[in-house]
Amino acid sequence: MSGDHVPRARGVDPGDDPAAGTVLRSQVTCAVLGLVIEKPSHGYEIGQRFERRFDQYMSVGRSSIYAALGSLMDADLIEKMAPRSSTGVRRGAKAGASYRATALGARAYRAWLADRVRNDPQRVAMLGRMALACVHSVEAAMDFIARYEQECVREAQELARPNVDLSSGAGGLSTVLERLLVEERRRMIDAQLAWITYARAELRAVPSRSGRVDALR
Amino acid sequence: MSLLSIEHVTKRYRRGRLERVAIRDVSLEVERGELVAVWGARFSGRSTLLRVAAGIEAPEAGSVTFEGRDLARSRNSVLGRGIGYCQLGSSAAQHGLVIEHVAAGLLAQRTVPRQARRRGQELLFRVGAEHCARLECHELAGSEVVRVAIASALVTAPALLVIDEPTSGVDLLERDPLLALLRSIANEGTAVLMSTGDAQGLSGVDRALSMDNGELRGEVRPGRAHVVPLRRADVGVRSR
Repeated sequence: MSGDHVPRARGVDPGDDPAAGTVLRSQVTCAVLGLVIEKPSHGYEIGQRFERRFDQYMSVGRSSIYAALGSLMDADLIEKMAPRSSTGVRRGAKAGASYRATALGARAYRAWLADRVRNDPQRVAMLGRMALACVHSVEAAMDFIARYEQECVREAQELARPNVDLSSGAGGLSTVLERLLVEERRRMIDAQLAWITYARAELRAVPSRSGRVDALR
Repeated sequence: MSLLSIEHVTKRYRRGRLERVAIRDVSLEVERGELVAVWGARFSGRSTLLRVAAGIEAPEAGSVTFEGRDLARSRNSVLGRGIGYCQLGSSAAQHGLVIEHVAAGLLAQRTVPRQARRRGQELLFRVGAEHCARLECHELAGSEVVRVAIASALVTAPALLVIDEPTSGVDLLERDPLLALLRSIANEGTAVLMSTGDAQGLSGVDRALSMDNGELRGEVRPGRAHVVPLRRADVGVRSR
């Protein structure tokens, strides 16, 4: 196909920090950085929190967690804290050091997150090409759109209704953020459903352009 | 036996020589305690479908049965008793106190006024609008209009509540609590059939039906989706 445009790989804005952009292409590394930002921890503890938080999305070994920590250290996105006991006394060399995020790491993570919260256009472009490969008639296009619609409706149906008790103030900022993220998804789905309505109207007009109008429309 | 059964219903509107098919060959069933949402864009036929389901409009073809009875023959005895239809905006346009408006359904059934008002007060409390009882109807705003309309429809303890676009014109932050109210009404056993034009109205429903151009295009239950097979008339002829 001539004139094809393949979007470039996306990551953190290289103008911000090229090393960070490279490191944060790994989803595991990003997840680990997020955990370190959330709470400075030892490597072992990070591994446990990773399992609890992301087990249903990605399954990785502990070695991958330590590799991610290493690459984050190399890119100055996290740093080691001096190991101390709970009484504040320095502990021996065997005690594992906690990792904490640097200011650069926190900025890079927010930039990565904002980028990923949007739909990845590379994925959409790829899906678009896959659709073009199998849709060769108006019937097929309508069927494809109906299935796409069902996926949108299903996602909207399954989106958890956020906590609606605004008066209690329970949860504070995290509750508000949860609501905002659900609302963001809903608005994305609304846009997709609006596109579906538009696409159907366009497709219904296709036969009339060829002079064969459906009399009922 | 389903609570509500709509089978192959078609409804047309005519103005002079112009004719528009509002809904065509639509079939659906609603069970007791179900929360069913009909999603569709404007002019998709979703509002007509709800009016036909409530018995407010009679279909030209097909049948609507409620608790096994043909709605065309028993409409007067069912509407306002077995089926509660929310007239959004009607309460806001009326004069008089909200409590009188809510109790009107029972007063029409010759319930003693004091009992009717007490029941109305209970329903206003149930829908979170008890503070509206002594307001004039035209003083209601935002979600209060919808809550009062729901209370008015529920006052006769119907088995099915039909409500067209409950979140239309309601502030963003008030929409989810309203939808949660409808969910709780369904959980208590009153089936709810609602229409919506946005994704928010689909959250947490038992079934979501999508309408386009007067026809049902698909149905989604949790964990299962069904696409209605296309008919030839849907797409005319093959384009190539």
